[in-house]
Amino acid sequence: MLQATNLSKRYQDLIALNALNLTVRPGEVFCLLGANGAGKTTTINLFLNFIEPTTGTATINGVDVTKQPLESKKHVAYIPETVMLYRNLSGLENLEYFAALAGRPDYHRDQLLDFFKRVGLPDGAADRRVGTYSKGMRQKVGIAIALAKGAKALLLDEPTSGLDPKASNEFSDLLRQLSADGVAVLMATHDLFRAKESGTRVGIMKHGSLVAVHDTGEFSHADLERIYLEHMHD
Amino acid sequence: MISRIARKELTEMFRDGRFRLLAGMVLAISLLSLAAGWKNYSALSQQHATAQVATRSQWLAQDKKNPHSAAHYGVYAFKPKSQLAMVDTGVDPYVGVAVWLEAHKQNDFKFRPAQDRTAVQRFGEMTGAEVLQVFLPLFIVLMTFSAFTGEREQGTLRQVLSLGVSRRDLALGKALGVTAALGLVLLPATVFAVLALAWSAEGGLVSSDPARAVLLALVYLAYFALLIALSLAVSARVRSSRVALVALLTFWFANSLVAGRAASDLAGWLYPTPSAIEFQKAMDADLNNENDMKIRLDKRRAEVLKQYQVDNVDALPIAFSGVSMQEGEEHGNEVFDKHYGQLFDRYEQQNRVYQIGGVLAPMLSVRALSMGLSGTDFAQHRHFAVAAEDYRRGIQRSMNGDIAANQKKGQVYLADQSLWASVPDLDYAAPSTSWVLGNYLASLLVLALWTCAAMGFMVRSASTLRAD
Repeated sequence: MLQATNLSKRYQDLIALNALNLTVRPGEVFCLLGANGAGKTTTINLFLNFIEPTTGTATINGVDVTKQPLESKKHVAYIPETVMLYRNLSGLENLEYFAALAGRPDYHRDQLLDFFKRVGLPDGAADRRVGTYSKGMRQKVGIAIALAKGAKALLLDEPTSGLDPKASNEFSDLLRQLSADGVAVLMATHDLFRAKESGTRVGIMKHGSLVAVHDTGEFSHADLERIYLEHMHD
Repeated sequence: MISRIARKELTEMFRDGRFRLLAGMVLAISLLSLAAGWKNYSALSQQHATAQVATRSQWLAQDKKNPHSAAHYGVYAFKPKSQLAMVDTGVDPYVGVAVWLEAHKQNDFKFRPAQDRTAVQRFGEMTGAEVLQVFLPLFIVLMTFSAFTGEREQGTLRQVLSLGVSRRDLALGKALGVTAALGLVLLPATVFAVLALAWSAEGGLVSSDPARAVLLALVYLAYFALLIALSLAVSARVRSSRVALVALLTFWFANSLVAGRAASDLAGWLYPTPSAIEFQKAMDADLNNENDMKIRLDKRRAEVLKQYQVDNVDALPIAFSGVSMQEGEEHGNEVFDKHYGQLFDRYEQQNRVYQIGGVLAPMLSVRALSMGLSGTDFAQHRHFAVAAEDYRRGIQRSMNGDIAANQKKGQVYLADQSLWASVPDLDYAAPSTSWVLGNYLASLLVLALWTCAAMGFMVRSASTLRAD
């Protein structure tokens, strides 16, 4: 579903991403771990075609993201560290607008409310302006947009950083549900615990290179932390 | 998609307190300026109509007198005001609206409201044109400068672009949203203007020239489209809202406030006009050229003597005083044509500088077209001045002709009311819309090019819009 082939990004003398080869299949949750500047966000920006790759290709559902930027985005949803919404619009209006822009302009109010219900947005919040929303609520609206879009792939950029443990846990549950429904998820994160909880595979990045990939089932949380720190050591 | 984006932009704007405040202010000044324009227009056109009737009846009611006295008595001619003058008063306050038509002289227009103004009033008076040319562009800049930069700074742009929306649709949607918001603000003002036009039109709205009103609206619409497109292009291109605001305010200031001043200074420098005193002195010198007049009169005398086959003026069957007075008029007319013609040509050369200046500041093109379509530009002033002067010359010809035909030697000749009535009332037809447009082809072209270029610039800038 998500595939990077020899994907590289160079800025003058800085290698932001070095020949990344990566495939995320439907139902997989692939967690990218690594220090700041390791190339996690660069990878996501490349998949979204927000930046041009220096070499290599990225495809979503088999569609090259640089050659067909609009087509490639049809099947993907993006959730950043904080989902940014139009503060003068209500949660429901935001969802309706983003769904319409994503090519689904025909949802009824009930259907939209149902998406909010599935992501666990508190009752009564839908018609409030999002200026009053907590970060956890915003992330839920982000997932609701992905659901409304019917996205087959999710690109997440540290979506749980700064969330309280309960909200973070709810978010992981939602990811598990999505992956059970066959959505391919690529998540950049610092949170080893979340990666172990909700990820099916983890990849460790360092200086723009993917240095290790493991199935999360192979380790305990402590093992994962030890392996991660070993890679970070030098 | 585009209309969905436009709708969201509108919703957001209407919920924004700053927009509501700004829109309320713009609406208020539009209505106020129109109301003032309408009041001014209806008062003036009323006064003109009354005065025009009065001057005619005074002319007709003259007692028996020598026709030359009647020629000195004279009449006033009032430039008819187009209804659109309530939107754009143009050069009227500076060049005047009425002229006294008397013997021997082509007078300057009088009743220039600008003469009675204090320096401060220059900024105090707010016409519809000023609102359209200065305030609405500022409103557009303030509404659009952060269209893209704001969404980028807020983080929503990444999210929107991640959905697979085309950047072109996004730009067009935003443009449509701003246009709709602007339309909603202007709608009450437009309705008011139409009603005011209908009220003040004697034969209903049709009596005015609807083509001019429609064209005037189109000119401003094109100008606003240009500004919206330019603003959005800048917002899509620059890094931050602050840079966009500074860049656009600089453009607004240069285009709306500085360009007019600079163009008139440049025009005055390239095509200087004499001061009123210099002009009068030069004209008087030619008028009082005794030698010129003597040659003229000798020639005319010889012609007349030959025509009637006599050898001195006393033997003529007509009164030679009428002929010689008419000859004096002809001499004056030649001088007037030369001096006023040169002066008016100068003004038109200056006007061309304005029109060319539109290439740099589109407001200059808009202003020229706005005055032209409102019937208050210099070309239409000149058109009326020429018609009034022709009318004056006609009066002089009939008075002098009557003297030549009827004055008997050694008698006091008095004409009666039948002679006054034989002079027709001034029947002035304002130039057609196509005549006006013919004067402003350059401005039309420049405005059209600016608008197309701005739209192209917007679509181009939007298509290279960066997510962050």
